[in-house]
Amino acid sequence: MPIGGFVINVDPKRVEESVESLKGFNGVEIHGTDAKGNIVAVLESSTSEEMDEMVKAIMKIETVYSVGLTYFNAEDEVEKQKAQ
Amino acid sequence: MGLSRREFIKRTAALTAASYVGMNLPFSNEESAHAADADTWHKGTCRLCGSGCRLELGVKNGKAVALRGIPESRTNKGYLCMKGMLFYKLMGDNHPERLKKPLYRAKKDQPFKEISWDEALDIAAKEFAKAVKKYGNDSVAYYGSGQALTEETYIFQKVMRGGLQTNNVEGNPRLCMASAVGGYITSFGADEPIGSYTNFERASCFFIIGSNTAEAHPVLFRRIMRRKLDNKDTVKVINADPRVSPTSRIADLHLQFEPGTDLALLNAMAYVILEERLYDEDFITNYAVFRMGKEKKQVDFNQYKAFVKDYSPEKVAKICGGNITPEKIKKAARWFAKSEGTMSIWTMGINQRKRGVWANNLIHNLHILTGQLCKPGADSFSLTGQPNACGGVREGGGLCHILPAHRLVKKDKLRHEVEKLWGIPEGRIPPKPGYHTVAMFEAVNQGKIKAIWINCTSPAQSLPNCDKYRKGMKREDVFMVVTDIFPTKTTELANLILPTAFIFEKTGVYGCTERRSQLTVKAVDAPGEAKPEVWIVREWALRLAKELNDPVIKKCVEPFLGKEPDYALPKAIWDEYTQKLTKGRDNDLRGATYEVLEQLPDGVQWPAPTKEWALKGGTDIKFVRGLDPLADKHAKNDLPYQFYGPAHPDKKLWIWLRPQKGPEEMPDSEYPFYLSTGRIIDHWHTSSMTGRIVELMRANPYAYVEINPKDAEKLGIKPGDMVEVVSRRGRNVLPAKVYVGPCEGMVFVYWHDQDEERMINRVTKDAFDPGSKEPEFKICACRIKKVSGPKPLKPFLVQMKA
Repeated sequence: MPIGGFVINVDPKRVEESVESLKGFNGVEIHGTDAKGNIVAVLESSTSEEMDEMVKAIMKIETVYSVGLTYFNAEDEVEKQKAQ
Repeated sequence: MGLSRREFIKRTAALTAASYVGMNLPFSNEESAHAADADTWHKGTCRLCGSGCRLELGVKNGKAVALRGIPESRTNKGYLCMKGMLFYKLMGDNHPERLKKPLYRAKKDQPFKEISWDEALDIAAKEFAKAVKKYGNDSVAYYGSGQALTEETYIFQKVMRGGLQTNNVEGNPRLCMASAVGGYITSFGADEPIGSYTNFERASCFFIIGSNTAEAHPVLFRRIMRRKLDNKDTVKVINADPRVSPTSRIADLHLQFEPGTDLALLNAMAYVILEERLYDEDFITNYAVFRMGKEKKQVDFNQYKAFVKDYSPEKVAKICGGNITPEKIKKAARWFAKSEGTMSIWTMGINQRKRGVWANNLIHNLHILTGQLCKPGADSFSLTGQPNACGGVREGGGLCHILPAHRLVKKDKLRHEVEKLWGIPEGRIPPKPGYHTVAMFEAVNQGKIKAIWINCTSPAQSLPNCDKYRKGMKREDVFMVVTDIFPTKTTELANLILPTAFIFEKTGVYGCTERRSQLTVKAVDAPGEAKPEVWIVREWALRLAKELNDPVIKKCVEPFLGKEPDYALPKAIWDEYTQKLTKGRDNDLRGATYEVLEQLPDGVQWPAPTKEWALKGGTDIKFVRGLDPLADKHAKNDLPYQFYGPAHPDKKLWIWLRPQKGPEEMPDSEYPFYLSTGRIIDHWHTSSMTGRIVELMRANPYAYVEINPKDAEKLGIKPGDMVEVVSRRGRNVLPAKVYVGPCEGMVFVYWHDQDEERMINRVTKDAFDPGSKEPEFKICACRIKKVSGPKPLKPFLVQMKA
């Protein structure tokens, strides 16, 4: 179950609206926002594939300009792959 | 405190992200009793574009399990993109399809057999030696890659030139940035950009032309976007492109011109700059001259002015078509000239043109005219597509006409200098440059090349008009060695496939777009029997020396004998290259030793002649006294800028008179559409790597043809319909994406797909720039037709049938 730490850049005038949209996703935790339009978020999913899809869906939100990954951990997925 | 392991990792993720933007979170992980999220962390560079993003790979129980950015890195400030997030999946034993054993077949219609390394190296040596003995030194060739480490390119070319006495040393950067090289040399007298990524945070105007930065360089685009968002009213973004792309989202002005009219557009901007006196007279007087023609004839300002007179915005708007109006051209020119610092950015849209060098020159012209160079935020900056096209191939001697450290093969003095530094007899390196890429594969077609080594690239898919060149590669009398990590369209045509180590499975340096060399040290083991290329070349060379009874070949690898291949061997090669070959050259890297590189979060920008200078990161802006040690060393007068580039004896910047020139092939009644090709965010190049990451492949399982809605309507094409794309060379059938991306009269196809029906380089044209020899991938003529409604399609990747 991968976990990613992201800085999501949104339109600085529409931060609250963006947070509302992000809350609509399962597996997104918002940890903070600032006036420059930075949103610190943790994404968690059952596979990396799902994580990729979540990031794509977030990028489609009209107020979102970019989704920047800063940290990614997939230790149990790698373990599982190894076991197979 | 009962913090679960999962909660602990989530907190680590949140804290890492928050630290990037200076945000404080109400918790920490300091008192946690959990084991660290990884056993060890290893600094390195992402493999999947030319940005040079730095990251740390987390290894647990010998496997790559986690990644985190390096916030102190000057390339990416720690941010990574999705490709970067997932590339650990290709490492070590993480991927089942990795090549793990040497494979051989005597004939290309036979199945491959697993053989030992000893057998494989013997065969490679015997076949190359046989060709040399029977057909001469120029019957063998090396075709390398902007993805190979600098140490790899350097040792390959050393053995080929000094050992096998041929300059048939080429590489795929010919296909992507040779025109940028030609542009820098003819305009500024020296290859590679003057400035750095630091200009992203200092520029007030971005002129992005022929680059879909948002998809091709997403992490760099983030910096441009941040600059724009933080300075919405003062920073302007101009995006010039025949196709509307995600990059256009932040543009204040979008110039959508018809393919192939870019040179006229750039000259029209120069027209406005002259007409409205927006040029910097002092800068021109102090630093520039005007030149024209093959003989580089010097002309004066008035002659240049008279030349540009032909490109009034009114006239050019009609040539450009699309959405171009005279007012838009004027606005772009004014923003460009008047901003505090203007940064131009381009990639293949400019380089992959029949007149790519000229297009580069015309962008540089705008910067020279307006003095938008060398000051903060001002730069004429070509972005690279591959992680080591600059460092390895441009600087390390990976093209047929250049020796290491920007030395031209044809200059006797420079050639002899290299022979002396290598300790081999004078005259050993032939004076004639080898075959450039298209000529090399033409020579394969004609049976002139009998043995070729293809390293870390897939020309069977990436060459334009590739069917023509696959015929040659299929010849039974052409022996082909391919070194790679996965099966590709090119391994399908090989006699011998040698499995290699991937990034983080070996040690070496990548040099990214901004002249920065960055080291990645081995962190995990390569799978099976895969080996680092430096070991493969050394062992092959020793056998070649025996086969050809030629001690000079052995001499080429003598300094590297006995070194273990994971660290000591690449280090010895890097030391020879930097300490001996770059000494006194414009890319002086003597300060950038492994020891120094290992201390830095990122790496060193040349020139960096001393360790002290290198430890500061090297040179941020070239040619500026006080900022560039070589500008002080070579200073000819008291002026603040010293353009000491080796290619301009007058030490001036050259403003070129270059006329509009269309593409080699224009649409006509039979083939009425322009065809252009490019990338999509998930895939990279021939998708031999990204296609094997399930997440990326599922997101974009096959290529599409993008069609403008107006054209689709006229032709009765609906989204998902199967559409035939036919040119004079070949045919593809792809699903349609009806989309206001390409302008009317133009279609666009992604080039990563390996399926025979969707492999667009079977359709593209192999015309090339007469200066840079870079092919015109970006424009040819085609016709399109609906062949059926939507059809279920399968993604396709070459598999190995051993």
